[in-house]
Amino acid sequence: MTVLTADWLLSDTLAPQVEGDPLAPLYAGSDRGELVLPFCAACALPLDLDQQVCDGCGAAEITWRAVEPTGTVHSMTVMHRREPGLVVAAEPYPILDVELASGHRLIMTTRTHPSSLPRIGDPVAVAFRNLGGVAIPSADLDPAAPPTTEASS
Amino acid sequence: MTASDVALVGLGMTAMSLSPGRAPQELAREALGLALADAGVTHGDVDGLLVGSSQGIRPDRLGVAFAAQGGFSDLRLLEHVEIKGATTIAMIQRAALAIETGVARTVVCVFADAPLVAGKGAGSAYAHSGGQSGVRGLERASGMLGSVPTYALLAQRWMHLSGATADDLCAMATTTRAWALGNPAAVVRTPLDAEGYLASPLIAEPLRRLDCARPVNGAVAVVVSGDTGLGHPVRVRVRGSGREHPVRHRRAGAESWFGGGRRAVDDALAAAGMSRSDLDVAELYDPFSVVTLMLLEEYGLTDGRTAGEFVRAGETGPGGRLPTNTGGGQLSGFYLQGMTPLAEAVIQLRGDGGERQVAGASTALVGGIGGRLDHHAALLLERAA
Ligand SMILES: [Zn+2]
Repeated sequence: MTVLTADWLLSDTLAPQVEGDPLAPLYAGSDRGELVLPFCAACALPLDLDQQVCDGCGAAEITWRAVEPTGTVHSMTVMHRREPGLVVAAEPYPILDVELASGHRLIMTTRTHPSSLPRIGDPVAVAFRNLGGVAIPSADLDPAAPPTTEASS
Repeated sequence: MTASDVALVGLGMTAMSLSPGRAPQELAREALGLALADAGVTHGDVDGLLVGSSQGIRPDRLGVAFAAQGGFSDLRLLEHVEIKGATTIAMIQRAALAIETGVARTVVCVFADAPLVAGKGAGSAYAHSGGQSGVRGLERASGMLGSVPTYALLAQRWMHLSGATADDLCAMATTTRAWALGNPAAVVRTPLDAEGYLASPLIAEPLRRLDCARPVNGAVAVVVSGDTGLGHPVRVRVRGSGREHPVRHRRAGAESWFGGGRRAVDDALAAAGMSRSDLDVAELYDPFSVVTLMLLEEYGLTDGRTAGEFVRAGETGPGGRLPTNTGGGQLSGFYLQGMTPLAEAVIQLRGDGGERQVAGASTALVGGIGGRLDHHAALLLERAA
């Protein structure tokens, strides 16, 4: 018997494509437990995840590197609509827009079902949840909580 | 030829339908026929065709093949215009430019959309679209399903910055619905008060179902011409337009969604030689109640008040200083992206608004937004004397 980690929130069918994806460096970093994000190789400006050319200096070379996994809440909503077949959680769930210490803004949910929710401006730590075998950056509001697990044979 | 000779001289609309079934091409064909008849012209009078369609969830979206599908002969102008929700105004700008420069004389702009498909609700159809790749793939893997949570994040941030409240959203939703009662083409025409609004379920905080547009299937076509010898007896002149495409980055130091739009309105007003106090009606793109509130402030239409104060004082409602979204708006299912705000402006300026007619309306501002407030477009229309 193997124990698979199942995401608390979403169906595995929403696992992102990793191979050949523009965000592959982010997923590879997440798999190692590192938050890896893109910067301009020339001037170190934090770039959007899909940015090809730096708007600060015009350079086209991008460096993905690990950043400090902390930030503050830029905005947050609680999603009440739970799409059948895609959302497995039985309760409304949070979506956070986190402004990271690196300067990037990243959309994420929480690593586990949260016991309480932060407000705009509150600090958050970033960890990872596992969705269909892909590690996804997520806000770690309850560091002591174990990930949801399910047994399968 | 001067810009003021360019006018909207024909309008055709299908029903706003909640029933899936008809393909975008079929809906477009019906709207086209109605618009040509409204203008009193035939296919042979048309030398330009612009098509628009929502990107997204249908592979059979309307495209330039509609020139052949729609029965046209050789054309001098044919394009698929695409800047998301600001597409309609971009089409009118493109048509006006072609007419002013002599490229074409009479241009038809057609938009068709059919997001409702059999077996799924609209929310479900949007939730299942978007794919598993790129930024959208990561967002969807983080629970951002459909378009509502995006605008919920934007709404929460805007309320945090501006001090706007849930009461303001409620006032916007109920005031907009008051207009729908007089529009037989709106899908939702029942009166709405605060109690009814609060009974509406939350979709993504702070947005309730009644803060969200009601998707429909349908099409709208308009005939734009510089030929003063043809068209509907009441000409609606294109007096000015403006665009603004703020290129934003999601990083510390700037807002992700706000700012932009005012210059588009300023440019449209300047071209028309008008000021904000000259506006009789405003028809804004309102996929969510919060967007109308934000646009009223960003466009500088609230006399220095907050949008919430302006709306709660009744200024956007029937009898108000700036009647806004007088067809009930996209919130009431009068929603074919930018085309319904444009159509409602034409209806008001022709005096064809029936129970919802704004007395003496002779000027209209039409506003369009696209993406996550990344594209702003403004159009100034005036009834010909
Ligand atoms: Zn750079």
